[in-house]
Amino acid sequence: MRILIIEDDIEAAEAMSRGLGEAGYDCIHAADGAAGLAEAQKRGFDVLIVDRMMPKMNGVQVVETIRREGDATPVLFLSALGEVADRVDGLQAGADDYLVKPYAFPELIARVEALSRRRETGAVATTLKVGDLEMNLIARTVHRGTTEIDLQPREFQLLEFMMRHAGQSVTRTMLLEKVWEYHFDPQTNVIDVHISRLRSKIDKGFERQMLQTVRGAGYRLDP
Amino acid sequence: MRLPRIFRTTPFRLTLLFLAMFAAAAAAFLAYAYLATAGEVTRRADDEIRREMNSLEAIYRRGGTSSLNQALIERAVGERPFLYLLLDKQGHKITGSIEESPIGSTDEPGEHWTTFQVTDTDPDGGEVKRPARGLQERLEGGEVLFVGADVGESEGFVTGIVRALWGAGALVILLGLAGGIIVSRNVSRHMAGLNETVAAVRAGDLKARARVRGARDEYDELAEGLNEMLDRLERSMGGLRHAGDAIAHDLRSPLTRLRARMESALIEVEAGKGDPKQALIQALDDADNVLTTFNAVLAIARLQAAGSAPDQTLFDPGQLAADMAELYEPLCEEKGIDFKVELIPRLTVKAARPILAQALANVIDNAIKYTPPGGAVMIRVRRRSSGEIEFSVTDNGPGVPLEDRNRVVQRFVRLENSRSESGSGLGLSLVAAVAEAHGGRLELDEGPGQYDGFGPGLRVALVLPRVE
Repeated sequence: MRILIIEDDIEAAEAMSRGLGEAGYDCIHAADGAAGLAEAQKRGFDVLIVDRMMPKMNGVQVVETIRREGDATPVLFLSALGEVADRVDGLQAGADDYLVKPYAFPELIARVEALSRRRETGAVATTLKVGDLEMNLIARTVHRGTTEIDLQPREFQLLEFMMRHAGQSVTRTMLLEKVWEYHFDPQTNVIDVHISRLRSKIDKGFERQMLQTVRGAGYRLDP
Repeated sequence: MRLPRIFRTTPFRLTLLFLAMFAAAAAAFLAYAYLATAGEVTRRADDEIRREMNSLEAIYRRGGTSSLNQALIERAVGERPFLYLLLDKQGHKITGSIEESPIGSTDEPGEHWTTFQVTDTDPDGGEVKRPARGLQERLEGGEVLFVGADVGESEGFVTGIVRALWGAGALVILLGLAGGIIVSRNVSRHMAGLNETVAAVRAGDLKARARVRGARDEYDELAEGLNEMLDRLERSMGGLRHAGDAIAHDLRSPLTRLRARMESALIEVEAGKGDPKQALIQALDDADNVLTTFNAVLAIARLQAAGSAPDQTLFDPGQLAADMAELYEPLCEEKGIDFKVELIPRLTVKAARPILAQALANVIDNAIKYTPPGGAVMIRVRRRSSGEIEFSVTDNGPGVPLEDRNRVVQRFVRLENSRSESGSGLGLSLVAAVAEAHGGRLELDEGPGQYDGFGPGLRVALVLPRVE
C-alpha cells in the first residue's frame, strides 16, 4: 500500500511516515501543495493524506485539482480547523474523510486503513457476509449461522459499518461520525455501551467472539 | 494655496453648483423675456402703423393728394400723433411732421419698414433721441407717404423689466452665497464632531463616542450608527481579549501539571526507579486532557466572540432530542437509571444543530453522571406559553445547592462532591455559551425533590427564543 503525505510540517510528516510504515504502509512525503500535486498526478497511490493549510497551494486546491482530473484516489484531509464549516469545505472539495489535528495515532491508522480498503468493496452489494454472520441489506435482516438476530435500526447501521470494515480497527470517533453523524466529543464513552449491546446480540451464545475490542484504538469485527 | 475650509465643504460646493445652474437658467429666462417682450412691442407698433397707412391710403384713393394732405394736417395735432411725411413725385416734401424720410426717396414699389430714431425735446429743453418704427410706400399717383410711430415708451418699459430682473438675479446670487456659507458652517460643525470621534478611535481610544444632539436628523442617525458600530467593535475586541486571557489561564495549569509529571518521571527513570512506559502512558493521558480542555475553551471562546451561532437552520427540536436520547439511552440502561423522554411533536426552533447537539449531550451526560443507579433522568422538549422552546433534562441526583447554581456555570467550577467524576469543568459553561449564542439562556432549578433517598435533583433547561 502506497501513501502520499502532503504536509508542510516536516516533523509531523516524519512521525506520520514512521507510524504508517510500522503499520505496513509505504509513505512518500511532499512538503508543499504544488510538489504534492505533482507527485499525486503520477498516480499509483492508495491513499492521499493532505494537510489543509500549506504554502504555494492549499489542501482544498490540491484535492479539487486531482478530482477535476478524474483521479478518485481516496483522500484523508488533515486540518487544525475543526469547525463544521471547515469540515464541509474539505469534504465538498472531494476529500473522503476529515481528521482534526492533533490526532491520536490509532485514529489516523484506522482511517487510512478504512480508506485504503474501500475500493476493494466498491460494488453495490445487497448482502454482506463476514464469517458466519450474514446481513441482507434489502430485507434488513441479520443471521448468524441459522439464528436470526433482531436488531434496532441504529444497531443495524452500526453492524453494517462494522461488517463493511471487517478485519479493520475502527475508532469510537469514526463510529460516532459515520454511524450517528455527530462531530462532537460525547464525553462519556457512549459508543462503548452501544457496542456492548450489539456484542450481546451477535456474540452471546456463540463460541467464537467476532466483535473484538482493540486496546487503545477501538473495535474490530473479525470473521 | 488652499482655500479656507468653509469653501471646501460639500454643502458650499453644492451651493455654488446650484447658483451656477440658477444663473444660467435666469440668463436664459431673461433673454427669452427680452426677445418676447421687445418683439411684441415692435409688432404692436407695426400693426398700428399699418392700420394708419391703410386708412390714409383709403383717403388718398377717395380724394387724391389734397384730401390726404388735409387729413395729415388734421391728424398731426391728434392725441397720439404718428409721424407723417408726404413727398411729391420728385421727392419734395408736401407736408409732414418730420423733415425727411429716414428711408429716403425710393423708386422701388411696395412697403419699406425701418427702425430709426426721432429727436424730441424733453421738458427741460434738452434733446433726447427715442426709438421709432416707420413704414414708407409709394402711392398710386407717384407720391411717397411715410408713417412712423414713436416706440420709445414701450421699449423703456421692457428695459425697466430687464434691469429689475438683473437686479433680482444679483440679489439671489448674493443671498444664495450667504445661505451656502451658513449651511456649510452648520454641516462642518456637525461633521467635525463625527470626525473627531473617528480620529480618536483611530488613535486607539475605543471608548470615544460621537455626540447625539437629539435632533433626530441624519447627523444623529449617523452618530448613532457610528456609536453602535463602535460598541460592537469594543465588545468583540473585549471578547477576544477575554478569550485570550481565559485560554492562557485555562491551559496554564494542566500544562504545568503535565510538565511536572514528565519531569518527575524523567528523574525517577534516570535514578533507575519507575517504569518509563507507564510514565509515557500517563503523559499521553495528561496531554489528551489538555487537548479536551483546549477544545472546550476554544469552542466557548468562538461562540462568545461570534456573538451568534453560525449557520442556524430551522428544525424540529423534538427530533434532535430524540436522537440524543437514542445515543444516551443504553448508557442509562447500563447504569440502571430510568430514562424517560417527553416530546411535543412538530415544534420549530432556529439553531445551529451540531452546536446545540453538543450542548444537549453535555447536559444529558452530566445528568447521567451524577444520578445514582436506580435513579431517573427525564428529557423534555416543550413550548412555553411565551413561545420559547425549552429543552430540559431533569435528574434526581444530589442536585446543586441554590447558592452554587450561578457558580457551576462559570468555567472550571466543579463542586466538591463531583471531584471524583471525570470532566473538564467546562460542560455547563459551554452550554451557557451555546444558549447565549442563540439568544437564549440556561436555567438551573431543583429537580423533583427528595424522596426514597434520591434527590433533590437538578433540572437544567436550555431555553431558546421563539421562532417568528
